[in-house]
Amino acid sequence: MKNKFYVLLSVLVLASMALAACGAPATEAPAAEPTQAPAPTEAPAPTAAPAFVGESLVAPDCNYGGNIKSIEAVDELTVKFTFCAPEPAFIAKVGSVEAFNILDEGYLKETGGDAVKINDNPIGTGPYIVKEWVRGDHITFEANPNYFGTKPANSTFILKWNKEAAARLLDLQSGNVSGIAEVTADDLATISADANLQLAPRKINNFLYLGINNTIAPWDNENVRQGLAMLINKQKIVDDFYAPGSVAATQFVPAGVKPGYTDGYVDTTYDPAKGIEMLKAEGFDFDKEYTLSYAERTRPYFPQPTKIAQAVQAQLAESGIKIKLEMEEWATYLPATREGKKELFFLGWSEDYPDATNWYDVFLMGTSKAFGNPFPDMMDLISKAGKSGDPVERQKMYDEVNKLYAQHVPNIVIAHGTVNQAYLASVENVVLGPYNENFKQMKTADGTVVFSQDGEPVSLTCADETDGNSFRACNMVFSKLYTFTTTSVAEPDLAESCTGNADATEWTCVLKKGVVFSNGAALDANDVVASFSIGLDYKYPLRKGNTGAYQYFKDLFGPKVLNQPAE
Amino acid sequence: MNQAQVPVLSADSIPERDNPTVIMVRRLFQHRSAQLGMFILSILIICAVFARQIAPYDPIKQLADAKRREPPCIHLLGCAPEKTQHIMGVDGNSRDQFSRIIYGARLSLVVGISTVTFAILIGGLLGAMAGFLGGWLDDLIMRSLDVLMAFPSLLLAIAIVAVLGPGLINALLAIAIIEIPIFARVIRASVLSVKELDYVMASRAQGASELRVLFTRVLPNAVTPLIVQGTLGIASAILSAAALSFLGLGAEFPTPEWGLMLGEERNSVFNAPFLVFFPGLAIMLTVLSFNLIGDGLRDVLDPRLVHGG
Repeated sequence: MKNKFYVLLSVLVLASMALAACGAPATEAPAAEPTQAPAPTEAPAPTAAPAFVGESLVAPDCNYGGNIKSIEAVDELTVKFTFCAPEPAFIAKVGSVEAFNILDEGYLKETGGDAVKINDNPIGTGPYIVKEWVRGDHITFEANPNYFGTKPANSTFILKWNKEAAARLLDLQSGNVSGIAEVTADDLATISADANLQLAPRKINNFLYLGINNTIAPWDNENVRQGLAMLINKQKIVDDFYAPGSVAATQFVPAGVKPGYTDGYVDTTYDPAKGIEMLKAEGFDFDKEYTLSYAERTRPYFPQPTKIAQAVQAQLAESGIKIKLEMEEWATYLPATREGKKELFFLGWSEDYPDATNWYDVFLMGTSKAFGNPFPDMMDLISKAGKSGDPVERQKMYDEVNKLYAQHVPNIVIAHGTVNQAYLASVENVVLGPYNENFKQMKTADGTVVFSQDGEPVSLTCADETDGNSFRACNMVFSKLYTFTTTSVAEPDLAESCTGNADATEWTCVLKKGVVFSNGAALDANDVVASFSIGLDYKYPLRKGNTGAYQYFKDLFGPKVLNQPAE
Repeated sequence: MNQAQVPVLSADSIPERDNPTVIMVRRLFQHRSAQLGMFILSILIICAVFARQIAPYDPIKQLADAKRREPPCIHLLGCAPEKTQHIMGVDGNSRDQFSRIIYGARLSLVVGISTVTFAILIGGLLGAMAGFLGGWLDDLIMRSLDVLMAFPSLLLAIAIVAVLGPGLINALLAIAIIEIPIFARVIRASVLSVKELDYVMASRAQGASELRVLFTRVLPNAVTPLIVQGTLGIASAILSAAALSFLGLGAEFPTPEWGLMLGEERNSVFNAPFLVFFPGLAIMLTVLSFNLIGDGLRDVLDPRLVHGG
């Protein structure tokens, strides 16, 4: 009898020890720590923290063509970013672009940074976790129980997609979805008239431009480009195809980009008679057919691609210029324009972060072959303006650039669009920010928000993505050091704060305490170093991703990154 | 036939008979569904030929004074007289839709007839050679065409256009290619039965060359099924061309092609339904007319139905 008792006791002890060993340590650790203090075997775990080994990414010098000098994990919760040249927009950059999400280093090692594995089981610190991704149909997100911020107001978020605007609207009207993206201007009246629906305008600085490759004749002639710019009636296009609140472009950047926008300045006025005269003076060939390319991809700045393309075609036809429209698939179109294969093309831009460098530096510094050769006089000024910390001084330089832009005409900016989303009237707390929709604060009666956008996310390897449809899903699952909610002022997210030195070449970020990933791992400075190293160093072992290009790291901290192979 | 013999024969026992073609045409005109088909088709042909005179506006010019996507305005039906008349409304690029539909008829007929002509010429020749010469050539030609037929027709057309590049001419070529095997099969079957007939044998016995036998004796008597198939083929060609244009692989903007018009306004289906209704109706009527005529022709040309019907 006694024997049996001891056997039972020892089995129980063994079982409880086994349970203690297998249980999730991350969730139990904080509560169990004080009570378990006497247990000597548990003690090393918390005391292991001081033995933190900080990782780092260090560039040997600043001659590799990028701006990152080093990223170091100073201690468990402190990361220091050092730059070769001043980086005044650091917080805006890391706060707005979903490519700069922070991932768990351990998880990255498990997956090897591979997009397929990350898509199957994305691990982040965001408000939601992915429950299932039904390819070609929808992604279901569930509230993340470990989320460090305010708990989401809805427990389930479903992201769907449909290419056709009419089908999205029908889905909304029938109540199948709670909200839709990219409402066309023609549907605005229908939505306003429907008491069950609400319109949600979203303000973001953007533009649609007619790109010109200045290495292809006759567009290599500056006067021809100037003449062409006078033949396009921008106001008519905005009136016809854009939602209310959109404006015709008067200069390179929209009025919201300050410093950058020159108040009251209009670079080119619509004057077909003078434009034709200029073209004739340059011996422009009116018999030749010129190809204008575009992709049928609805964007806030390009609400009805085919209609707008035909309108421009018709306007130019009135001036005697023959235009052949070439509609291409987005996947092949974008690389082809970037390789400089298109003479005339439509593309647009929505800003990634609120700073003029996200406009001038992206388009006028020769980073893409799409426009042909850049203009040194403009590049010089833009480069200086980007590094200056004085807004008044910067504005003066940008004023000059805006004038040079009108003279060189590297492209013709057509319009700045206002985008509208629509929601069921029953959805509460719809407050759209400039860079995301703040879905987590929307409320519905059944706790489920369903949103329909115009395409499927490419992948959840967010660091390697560039498109808004992927970023919308990324924003659910991952978090960044900073974030934007309803205003264009960045707010700390994973970081407690990031502070820069006087000339903005050093930024020190202190991370929030107690943040855990959805796999239970705690956030530390090494996670930040790893997440940035993936995009910034070609030789980093975990750099694999989806395409492997990690474009945003090049665009925002480049133009080149470490160990980048020559083309 | 010797002309001198004809009166002798008719005088004797056989009642005078009309030319079979005349009989066929007469029967066709009496055939109800063919009548309807021909009525629609004649309207289409008139629209196509006199497009310039009928259409009130230039089909590709954007009208400065017209409101985009304005619903149809017909003065006779009570539309305010101060408004400009647009029978089928104004499209999303401020163009008169009626004019575009009228010009579209021209394009659709050209598409249908040209692709089918091309397919009949190539398919007919291949099928006739296969059926007439037989042997390994027959196997080679027909098995290759079987491979072509194994693909769903529209998918194959899309694949061909993907290789050739989008554009109306390439789309026509693609549609013609997918129709080739159908015509080849029809003519081969017909040639196989005709080539064993006595008058062919007689011609052969008189020492006529193979080519002469094929082109003067066999083919003229084997084309009847082709007439039916060709008429139906025009209908499917028009439909395929519209489908390719709808997908952005056929005609290019701003060509007034019905499928293209349908495709570019597909998102207006709720707020401006007339923009998809009229091009859709035009495609439907055209295809219907050719199908009705094709059905009628088949009834008329089928010897089993002649006496029964």
